[in-house]
Amino acid sequence: MSMSYINRPNRPLHVYALLYLAFLYVPVLFLPLFSFNDSIFIAFPLKEFTFKWYEVMFNNEPMLAALANSVKVGVVTSIVATFLGIFAAKAVTRYRMPGRGPVVAFIMLPLVIPGIIFGVSLLILLSELGVRLSLYTVTLGHIIVCVPFAMVTMIPRFEGFDASIEEASSDLGENMWWTFWRVTFPVVFPGIIASFLLCFTISFDEFIIAFFLSGTEPTLPIYMWSQLRFPDKLPGVLALGSIILMVSFVVVFAAHWIRNRGMPYKRVGGV
Amino acid sequence: MTDNTATLRSTLPRSTKSGGWLSSLLMRFEALRGYLLLSPTLLIMIIGICVPLFILVGMSLWTQHGFEFDKSLTLANYFNVAEQPIYKALLARSILISGGCALATVILSYPMAYFVAFHVHRHKMVWIILMTLPFWTSYLLRVFSWKIILGYNGVINSGLIGMGLIDQPLEFLLYSPLAVVITLTHAWSAFAILPIYVSLEKIDRSLLEAATDLGDGPVRRFFRITFPMSLPGVIAAALIIFIPTVGDYITPTLLGGPDGIMLANLISAQFGKVNDWPMGAALAIALMVTVALFSVVFVIISRKVTERIT
Amino acid sequence: MDVVDQLHAVKSGKLSRRAFSKSLLGVGVGIVAMPYMSRPAGAAAADQATYFTWGGYDDPALFGEYIKKYGEAPNLATFGGSEEALTKMRSGFMVDVSHPCNADVPRWIASGLFQPLDTDKLSNWGDVIPELYQLDGIMVNGQPYMAPFDWGQTSVTYRTDLFDLEGKEESWGMLWDERYKGRLAVLASAGDAWWCGAIYAGVDFKDISSKVGFEKTAELMRKQRPLIRTYTDDETTLEQALASGEIVAAMTWNSSAVKLKTAGVKVKFANPKEGALTWVCGAMIRKDAPQMDKAYDIVNSMLSVETGKWLIGENGYGHSNVKSFAQFTDKQLDELGLNRNPAEVLSTGKFMSPQSQEFETSMNQEFEKIKAGF
Repeated sequence: MSMSYINRPNRPLHVYALLYLAFLYVPVLFLPLFSFNDSIFIAFPLKEFTFKWYEVMFNNEPMLAALANSVKVGVVTSIVATFLGIFAAKAVTRYRMPGRGPVVAFIMLPLVIPGIIFGVSLLILLSELGVRLSLYTVTLGHIIVCVPFAMVTMIPRFEGFDASIEEASSDLGENMWWTFWRVTFPVVFPGIIASFLLCFTISFDEFIIAFFLSGTEPTLPIYMWSQLRFPDKLPGVLALGSIILMVSFVVVFAAHWIRNRGMPYKRVGGV
Repeated sequence: MTDNTATLRSTLPRSTKSGGWLSSLLMRFEALRGYLLLSPTLLIMIIGICVPLFILVGMSLWTQHGFEFDKSLTLANYFNVAEQPIYKALLARSILISGGCALATVILSYPMAYFVAFHVHRHKMVWIILMTLPFWTSYLLRVFSWKIILGYNGVINSGLIGMGLIDQPLEFLLYSPLAVVITLTHAWSAFAILPIYVSLEKIDRSLLEAATDLGDGPVRRFFRITFPMSLPGVIAAALIIFIPTVGDYITPTLLGGPDGIMLANLISAQFGKVNDWPMGAALAIALMVTVALFSVVFVIISRKVTERIT
Repeated sequence: MDVVDQLHAVKSGKLSRRAFSKSLLGVGVGIVAMPYMSRPAGAAAADQATYFTWGGYDDPALFGEYIKKYGEAPNLATFGGSEEALTKMRSGFMVDVSHPCNADVPRWIASGLFQPLDTDKLSNWGDVIPELYQLDGIMVNGQPYMAPFDWGQTSVTYRTDLFDLEGKEESWGMLWDERYKGRLAVLASAGDAWWCGAIYAGVDFKDISSKVGFEKTAELMRKQRPLIRTYTDDETTLEQALASGEIVAAMTWNSSAVKLKTAGVKVKFANPKEGALTWVCGAMIRKDAPQMDKAYDIVNSMLSVETGKWLIGENGYGHSNVKSFAQFTDKQLDELGLNRNPAEVLSTGKFMSPQSQEFETSMNQEFEKIKAGF
């Protein structure tokens, strides 16, 4: 991409960008800061440096169980939503279908309906059906919210590659499943990873729907919400939050690094 | 998933040679094949969206008596929503707070997206990751950390007192609608940056060159080309923020104080301590319809504006 | 990732390696997830009974005997208010034991979800203070539905160095004091706040559901609203705001004052002249509890002296086991605002009394409106 005289360095914009990053990061970085602070009160001035909240965290069985619940829900949600996203994306990009527009709009509805509406309406449905609330019901709610994201992520992948390769494969007598597995799948694979990560992130951090639909086993956000009330529990929650932040750091940069490795040229987009 | 793969295998044509009336039918009707492939997703979404919404509407016509629902249909709950000033006022406040938050987020994020699109030439991806990374922390904890910042003896107040600018902590920072707007703006900024960035990145650079060659200065060039062409991204960003934030009740609960609570707080209370589910359903529908109306009006107006300036 | 690049890889057969390196990422996520998918806690969770309680009581310290017997604590789930808890259980949330307060018991019984307790199965029952389960509504046909566990008061915690009583007696009026506009806080749940308002309004609890009593209380709560910095059930918020001086007086439970004193903040848990709101909470067992025997073990652990020691010493609440008080000196108990003879404290307290579901709904509805400024 050639940059010409149009884009001379713009000093004020540069300063603004740095201020903006500070605005994004400062509130977030308070979490690790206070997770090392030897006081149950989350306020300045700081007290002694300590690791004890991390110890507390690792001994906090209910919190680790909540973390495990969130991981389970996130993994199942992202797998199912991604699969549904693949089918839907392939259908709408490969076939001329009457009513395509309204159908896509319908699937995208969760993007434009506040989460609380889904939470309460699914709660009413499940309780009228007599279904017991559990991690399954939370997962159901999360899948519905994630499908549009999965589909949006997958559509450009299908639009971007030449359908004639698939046709060539079937012309060679390969069956549809084989064609999908050996030709389509590898090409859309980056989209699958992107969709998986996106759905996992959304589910992992989702509070409102989980609040209405969770049963006896809380997800991590629900557990954290119940702990925010108690000063002595809070620093342990901050410790876990800091660890999650660090793990995401590593995962995101690792993903970036893996993508860039061996690539002859860099491009923007994707994850 | 085995069901789906089985469906795929059996319903989609293996090759042109394989027989069977079903597959020939499928071959002939492309639309049918499309819908077959779409059917698992569509089915789940119908179960997950239409059925609950249908029941939500149904329940909003019931009334609560103690533990039981009176299932005779009545519009009483809606009359209640229309008559009682509290519901209208909270609805208006929800719209104002979310609208303000969408506006603030777009205004703050636009220059940043512009910077990355036009002034970052290497490692753009790193910048984008840098901007989205904070959103990998728990939403709840991010909201909570704003409480630390805006609080009575929080970062801002102790900073200002330390510098000798004020004697008493500024109390309006926390427990006010302002606190809710600030926090939501921070929490949703990644959702604004990405669509705006994508729309800016798509602009054909030769158009800008052409405008410059025709003698446009940077400001004129921005308002004649860059801004109009990025409007779709701006509109998308505004809606992506406006709609979900209307339904948030966490931030208002933690930071809003008595004057900062929103309609969603009241809705969630109806399903919890107040225990009047039909009223909650009616409020939820009122909220959804209002949000939809505002969004449609917003989209129509911004389309008109876009047409006028491009 | 470039599409052309990908297609090139497909053609040249380099794909498998690329796919492999990408799937490393998936494996990475898998590794993070793996230990939790197969954690024994997941399997054990199904074997243990579930206790559904107020946030903050989800502490293993409550279940010493249970843990000794089964090797781990019961499953714990929390709620923010007893109304929320009942609503949730009625919409299909299955637990073995839950934790209402005395005024809730008749409505909880009416929901048809709970059973009377077989006190023979509770070895600690003999030490339970009888006054606690003889309260209105807990016994039906001579059988208790709730095993009393904790009791305490809702009152005003105030900063002795910042709130000037001007020589007057402690009173609920402290939370209506115009001098401290914007520096007062009140609990967000009507279950506490409304009743405290009624005490200050001089409404007898017998008349709390009458039209006059309701309106008198509502009027007073409306008058208070402009003075309030925040309504919250969040004890962290209340305690931190009291510690920083952001607020000078707040409606709290016993434990906030105890914790703040421990942290060296100058506070006092007031003994208002109109009387503090007194409550007794305890354990109820579900009729259809999936783990019935373990449900009784949960209740029995809660009644034990060991648990009582934690409840009194760490939280400043009263315990239902009379022997728990023997673990403390008079001075210690006095500092916590408790008394060796609990019946004495209980006899001066204003006890919440059971109300109809309709009253609970309209009270909550009204209080939500008042909090929002209407």
